[in-house]
Amino acid sequence: MPTVIAGKNKTVRINGCVASAQAAKYADVDVISAYPIRPYTATMMALAQMVANGELDAEYIVADSEHSQLSIAHGASSCGARAFTGSSGVGVQFAYELYSPISGSRMPVQMMIADRTLDPPGDFGSEHTDALSTRDMGWLMGWACDAQEAFDNHLIAYRIGEDPRVLLPQMVCQDGFFVSHITSDVELPDPGQVKEFLPPYKHPYPLDPRRPVSHGPQIMPEQGPPLQLERARAMEECTSVIEQAHEEFAQIFGRRYDPWVEEYMTDGAEVVFFLQGGHAVTARFAIQHMREKGIKVGMVRLRTIRPYPTDRVNEVLSKFKVVGVIETNMALGSVSSGGALYAEVCGALYESRERPLVLSFMAGMGGEAIVLKEFYWMTEKMMSALKLGKIEKRTHWVGFED
Amino acid sequence: MATFEVERQILPILGSPNQGARFYNPELPSSEPFVPGHRTCAGCGPSIQYRMTTKAAGDNTILVGPTGCMYVANSSYLCTPYNVPWAHTQIGSAGSFTAGVAAAYEAMIRKGKWKGPYPNIICEAGDGSASDIGLASISGALYRNHDCLIICYDNEQYANTGIQASSRTPYGGMTTFSPPGPEVPEGKKLFPKDLARMMAAGHPHCYVATASVGYPIDLMNKVRKGLNHRGAAYLMIYTPCQKGFVYETPRSIDLGRVVVECGLYPIWEWNPERRVYDYSFRPQNMRPVSEYLKLQGRFGHLHAEHIAALQKFANEQWKMMGVELPDALIWAADPQNQVNMAAAAEAEEVAETI
Repeated sequence: MPTVIAGKNKTVRINGCVASAQAAKYADVDVISAYPIRPYTATMMALAQMVANGELDAEYIVADSEHSQLSIAHGASSCGARAFTGSSGVGVQFAYELYSPISGSRMPVQMMIADRTLDPPGDFGSEHTDALSTRDMGWLMGWACDAQEAFDNHLIAYRIGEDPRVLLPQMVCQDGFFVSHITSDVELPDPGQVKEFLPPYKHPYPLDPRRPVSHGPQIMPEQGPPLQLERARAMEECTSVIEQAHEEFAQIFGRRYDPWVEEYMTDGAEVVFFLQGGHAVTARFAIQHMREKGIKVGMVRLRTIRPYPTDRVNEVLSKFKVVGVIETNMALGSVSSGGALYAEVCGALYESRERPLVLSFMAGMGGEAIVLKEFYWMTEKMMSALKLGKIEKRTHWVGFED
Repeated sequence: MATFEVERQILPILGSPNQGARFYNPELPSSEPFVPGHRTCAGCGPSIQYRMTTKAAGDNTILVGPTGCMYVANSSYLCTPYNVPWAHTQIGSAGSFTAGVAAAYEAMIRKGKWKGPYPNIICEAGDGSASDIGLASISGALYRNHDCLIICYDNEQYANTGIQASSRTPYGGMTTFSPPGPEVPEGKKLFPKDLARMMAAGHPHCYVATASVGYPIDLMNKVRKGLNHRGAAYLMIYTPCQKGFVYETPRSIDLGRVVVECGLYPIWEWNPERRVYDYSFRPQNMRPVSEYLKLQGRFGHLHAEHIAALQKFANEQWKMMGVELPDALIWAADPQNQVNMAAAAEAEEVAETI
């Protein structure tokens, strides 16, 4: 049973999937498109029940595929309805065609992702490759590390994406199972708070017979670049909207997040982990233990990967001597021959006068938990790079080396 | 909330439906939601259909245009021909994007976020979208019974990509993906997917019908019946393509009649209330298929046995509609009674023009 703690707010014990569904309910979404795939399915199950119970007035559409899910959300958003959808793993990829058209038509569709490893061979575990493979399609994107943050991120993302200065779709990501299926306390707000924070969705040019418009007509090659530039600028210039939204969220809900990175025990740290998502919770424990032993280690958690906070990453990571990127994703044959995060960290650091050494750790692959022992092992690798003043090996597959 | 009924308009059915009033009917609305100035070919069947459809629907309409000719050739940026809201969607998203539009209006009207009568929501999918890549999405929209009309403008090929075979390309039809040659003299070896019947059989709660640009009033009335139907409706419309069929430009409407008269494009309605087919539509004449084939370059390579095979196919369609076959048509289904359309060299010349 939910416990009332203050005012009309209540704390409930729910998992990440249900937290996402609750957020969609609080956002009073109009159209939901569902298709089952583990682990995100639980979000849609919860929403189906809310609609069945009459708690949420929305069109709940059981789509015939993820491709259709995204198209339904696109169509609904084009008419001025608030649309919510989601997926996991190969489902995210099945819908791949739609990501660019949706951001290109500037429709603030919201998609919940509970990560799942891509096939083969049908692994249910969390690996960020599914969502990350779409990272350059013009969607705002970031990872939550627990259910409360997932809930909050959904509201914040709608607020940013629907802002008339932005109008971009949002992928609100959480690790499959580590966040999506582990229950924890989530404070649900008073509907009045949400009303104050999230204004109704109003697209400036919806499909409305009273004001005819054409969406997405065919263009000549010379007409393309201006449209692409506009989309690029929307992504570039939304940073102030993102910061403002987080600030107002803190004022209204009392929970303050740095929009870009969370720093954990970085004071006096020489080496830091750089990661996204749920493994941060384990990392905090590992760092506490190591700090007690006098090891100067900390953590920097990326909260928003699109738009990528290049300057912020540069500024923060330049303070340290060694950065260990925990990838939790695959980018085969890429810069580090490991994951996708490494290249972006290095790119952000390139202009720094005091560049740290950067290591790439392939950990948490296949949805395996990254256990404390592995954090200690990775810290040893970072400390040895610190001692040597250089990197002996760029990419480590954790658990496959001594 | 299931009991909430949004306001819907009812469009009147036009008089003198089938045979009379071929090009003019005083009851036709004067509104033109599809205006001139687009880049489709002269005599383009799909755009003739587009004008008839939108005229029948009127101004309270939203159009969804999956990729196809009616997207690529029509919707040039800064000069689109649509006087009503129109949105492009991906070729595989015909039914799903349309479902999203319908769901949005259901929800917004119910929740008081949009005031006014429910709009006509029409999806204009080409046969490539409707019979191949978007088939599942359309089936999904029909199955879930969104209040919308999904039209397959059937020009029997992927035309804007340069004439490739679709599941609707007829047996013997020459396309760049089904060219005739010494090993494959007939070109397209497969008979077309029976798309509209598939939709009626699989989604019997929907209004489903076939139509042809050769019968404009019948076409417009079917558009209105589809829109008046509460729930999903599906129309498959014969729309000849001058570029792909290779015929004399002014003969688009003629072809739309001859194809029905020779039995290759049965015109029917599926009645969702009584759950029966209505085959009462009868063309003025019945003709052998060769009269239709000889008008088009895409059939110029056919041999006697191929023409007979098409006649056999047409005869089966007539039988299905409960029409008694005249002896002449039974006779025409025998290859011995047919002649080759042209020598191979001539067929190649025709191929060059595509």
